[in-house]
Amino acid sequence: MSKLWLPRHAAERLDVDRRSFLQAGLGAGALAALTLAGCNSQGPKSAQGLLAAAERWNEKVERALFRHRAMNVAPAGATLAGASFPSYFISADLPVWDEGARGAWRLEVGGLVQRPAQLTLGELMALPRTELRLEHFCVEGWSAVAVRAGVPLAELARRAGLLPEARYVDFQSFDDAYHESWDLDSALHPQTLIVYGQDGRLLEPAFGAPARVYSPVKLGYKNTKYLTRILFLAEKSGGYWSDQGYAWYGGV
Amino acid sequence: MATTKRHHLVVRITHWVNALALTIMVGSGLRIFNAYPAFARKGESFCCYPFEGTKIPDWLTFGGWLAGARHWHFAAMWLLVANGLVYLGFIYLHGEWRDLVPRRGVVRDAWEMVKFYLALRRDHPHQGKHNALQRTAYFAMPWVGVAAVVSGLAIWKPVQLAPLTHLLGGFVWARYLHFLAMLALVVLTAGHVFMVFAVDPYALRAMVTGRYNEARSPELRNARPFVNLRARPGVEASSPVAAAESAAEAPPSGPKPPAPPVSEPPRES
Repeated sequence: MSKLWLPRHAAERLDVDRRSFLQAGLGAGALAALTLAGCNSQGPKSAQGLLAAAERWNEKVERALFRHRAMNVAPAGATLAGASFPSYFISADLPVWDEGARGAWRLEVGGLVQRPAQLTLGELMALPRTELRLEHFCVEGWSAVAVRAGVPLAELARRAGLLPEARYVDFQSFDDAYHESWDLDSALHPQTLIVYGQDGRLLEPAFGAPARVYSPVKLGYKNTKYLTRILFLAEKSGGYWSDQGYAWYGGV
Repeated sequence: MATTKRHHLVVRITHWVNALALTIMVGSGLRIFNAYPAFARKGESFCCYPFEGTKIPDWLTFGGWLAGARHWHFAAMWLLVANGLVYLGFIYLHGEWRDLVPRRGVVRDAWEMVKFYLALRRDHPHQGKHNALQRTAYFAMPWVGVAAVVSGLAIWKPVQLAPLTHLLGGFVWARYLHFLAMLALVVLTAGHVFMVFAVDPYALRAMVTGRYNEARSPELRNARPFVNLRARPGVEASSPVAAAESAAEAPPSGPKPPAPPVSEPPRES
């Protein structure tokens, strides 16, 4: 058969040794089977400890890399995602604050602070306003550009007067039990905002109304929407996705 | 039969650690990619990927779910980088890099190899430890690896390493580059593994034990993919080239191979 397409000198030399070829083939097959067996699994159980150690190491590296001066700037040519911006919540239905049932919405700033506060939306919006055009990064790999308007959390923290023991912040919500806790450095980054406006309008319920935390230094799932409480803490307090196995630090 | 030392222990260990780390990185990376198997920024389109939105088949992925795959990816990246640095440091200090950087005439030599594989040339060119195609592939591998690591850093930390991400054209392009680098690594690796099994299975032993039988080299077997896989018994003794090479490479204390018949033409029948 080979003579049909190979020049004569090549055909003469055609000498595939069946045995060694089969042996090589069997070896390759076994290797492939082993690979397949491990595929789409979470890998060997024994590796889980190693992975946890790697995550702790990565958190140290990420914290060491962190700079308050490092800024997110959305690319000049990028289009605002607008209605294409994915919207996520964990409740069965879109969470909307029901004033009739729950009274006026207030944002509690508490925990390890000298002057705990309960801010109405009006009081929040009366504070120094920052508007930033930012590129958002989701853990899934997509990014989206939006203009965020709100109050820097560092400003709220300054007004509340942080106690020196405060090392972490927990952002809690009325979207079921959704919350995520952060390291203080990320929370006090100048681009970390308590957001009440998006793309020039008030925040819509799909995107976390009346207010949410937003920072480009954290992956999307760390940015609690439907915010009710900002609690300064001495210890980490996990989070909705962090407790399910996503990296707690989730830095960008 | 006489074998010669081909790969240093450090090269063999880093080779197999690299194979493991790359497998984990590619498998977990594809699982991460499947969470958003597209490149377009939300609200935009992307010019240069024809399969936007199409997932990679699950059986090609590793890590089970997005968070699991991310843990594997961000753990194995340290193994990949540390192992790569040991390898590059070693071949630099030990001089092996000389066998891998392209030499003058590499294009001509590569063309001769292509001609041989296409059966447009009868005899296997003799181009040293690695032929020009191997040299090019093994030289490209670390560079593509560097591209994968750098683009990976850019999409891991697009804010903290914003200047790097910006240099690569922003997050979307950096992510695309990361994907292309992965693709190039997969293609290089697939070609490499194919050639090992189809042309030089004896190289597998060399990458495990370090020993290689030069008499079974593709040059002396005149091996193309699936052609002359087996070293025929007569070849070692009757080929003056084989005899000369094994004599040159054999330890001096070893018995001398029989003198080659000079009258015979070098090519085996």
